Amino acid sequence: MVLGIEYDVVQVTLLSLYVAGAATILGCLIGIPLGSLIGLKEFGGKGTLKTITYTMYGFPPVVSGLFIYYLFSRSGPFGSLGVLFTPTAMILAETLLVIPLAAGITITEVSEVDRSIKDTIRALGASRRISNLTVMREAWVGLIMAAMIGFGRCIAEVGAAYMVGGNIQGETRTLTTAIMLETRMGKFDYAIGLGLVLIAVALAVFFFMRLLQEKEHL
Amino acid sequence: MAMIAISIAVVAAVVISAMALVVFAPKMQYLRMATTTSTQDSGLLDYILPVFENETNSKVEVIAVGSGQALEMGKRGDVDILMVHSPASEAQFVKDGYGTNRTQFMYNWFVIVGPDSDPAGTRYAKNSSDAFKRILDNGTTGNVTFVSRADNSGTHSKELTIWSALGYNKTQVAAFDSSWYKQAGQGMGSVLDMCEDMGAYTLSDDATYYSRVEAGIIPSLNITKAGDSALKNQYSIILVNSTIWTHINATLAEDFLAWITSHDGQDLIKSYERYGQQLFTPNAPAYISALSIAGCRGAVEAAVSASTRSEETILRLSNIRG
Repeated sequence: MVLGIEYDVVQVTLLSLYVAGAATILGCLIGIPLGSLIGLKEFGGKGTLKTITYTMYGFPPVVSGLFIYYLFSRSGPFGSLGVLFTPTAMILAETLLVIPLAAGITITEVSEVDRSIKDTIRALGASRRISNLTVMREAWVGLIMAAMIGFGRCIAEVGAAYMVGGNIQGETRTLTTAIMLETRMGKFDYAIGLGLVLIAVALAVFFFMRLLQEKEHL
Repeated sequence: MAMIAISIAVVAAVVISAMALVVFAPKMQYLRMATTTSTQDSGLLDYILPVFENETNSKVEVIAVGSGQALEMGKRGDVDILMVHSPASEAQFVKDGYGTNRTQFMYNWFVIVGPDSDPAGTRYAKNSSDAFKRILDNGTTGNVTFVSRADNSGTHSKELTIWSALGYNKTQVAAFDSSWYKQAGQGMGSVLDMCEDMGAYTLSDDATYYSRVEAGIIPSLNITKAGDSALKNQYSIILVNSTIWTHINATLAEDFLAWITSHDGQDLIKSYERYGQQLFTPNAPAYISALSIAGCRGAVEAAVSASTRSEETILRLSNIRG
């Protein structure tokens, strides 16, 4: 069904994977430590910080895109870098979407593990560092879950990708922006075909991540 | 643990090599162009740009958005060149010093589109504003619905121009009762789909209308009023001011302007057909005067065929359908 499309669907698919993958990794690298910090430490205002983190789950992708647009537009503070309308800009905008998800899920995971086993380990004489590491190890399934949800949000995202990527053929066209273009052009069948490609690709990635989740847990 | 290490290594390798591909990709000349969705969605750009790219060993990076957003991108220095159709905002843009060399280079037509039965009787309207008057009258009595782009696009600004001929300014139009005046805030294609679904009227550029007719997704919508000179949809090229933005590829932008207004570029636009007909009419000043100097009836013929074309279109469409 997608054979009638004039641009390279394989390249578009790879770019989607690259952008969503890189944003997920970056977002998790920032979000998970942040989340474990919030989850494991006790401090004033913790409840408020958690609420803010959870609220950011609903952060609108277009707003994230606009924010990155303003930063990297030629009129903006980082305009001279020439990052706007490149995959890097798209990765940055989507990273902003992953960070709160990764942080929030990590908070929930470590808090739950925390309650059930932390006291036991401490009672058995483990140091604080060891007990925190044990908690993180137990929370592994949840952390992979955070990455999965982050990746799911990125690969399906279109507002920010269009805004800062520009849907340039051969450069910043991803599956979702291509779907939008085909829909706008009235080629609904192509749009659905590309949607199926997206789901197939996501299936492969999630299958791999599930493997990762289970291997470690055994 | 080994499994994890391998997995992470694989992911890292993929990410790094992908980054390397992006960073070390061979550099050619790039021209970044913001344009309206209609030039991309109609397929015109895919048809004409490869010719320019081959001649100049360049790549034109097309960013297709609404005219309002395109002008904003130009203002902020994020693109090199604009291809837009929003005359009033374009003039302001140039006046404010953001752009130079604003040059008309082609036009197509806006058409009033509505359900087959044409309950507002726009078919019998004298001109486009009379057609809008009929829609307004029938709308307020609950007989018909109109869907507006309402998105600051070139089409939206044309719609506002027609309303202003009837004495309604932008604010008054925005305050029309939503029971009959739907402000969609969406692209042309989506608005046409909404009209199909709601049996509503709208103002559309003909290129988008035809490509959707061709795709078979708006079977009950017809052109009910066309051919009025007020419905002309003029496209222009504007070069983003390279004295404000020194990073801009001004040379390639000038080359593009020279090419698209040249005889070759204009003929190429003329030869683009969809649905068995020419979608855009080239009218760069140099091209038009060259035609008349050559004495080849060109300019006159073009003017005559342009005014009769929309009428022919309606006939042709009804033949195809009926």
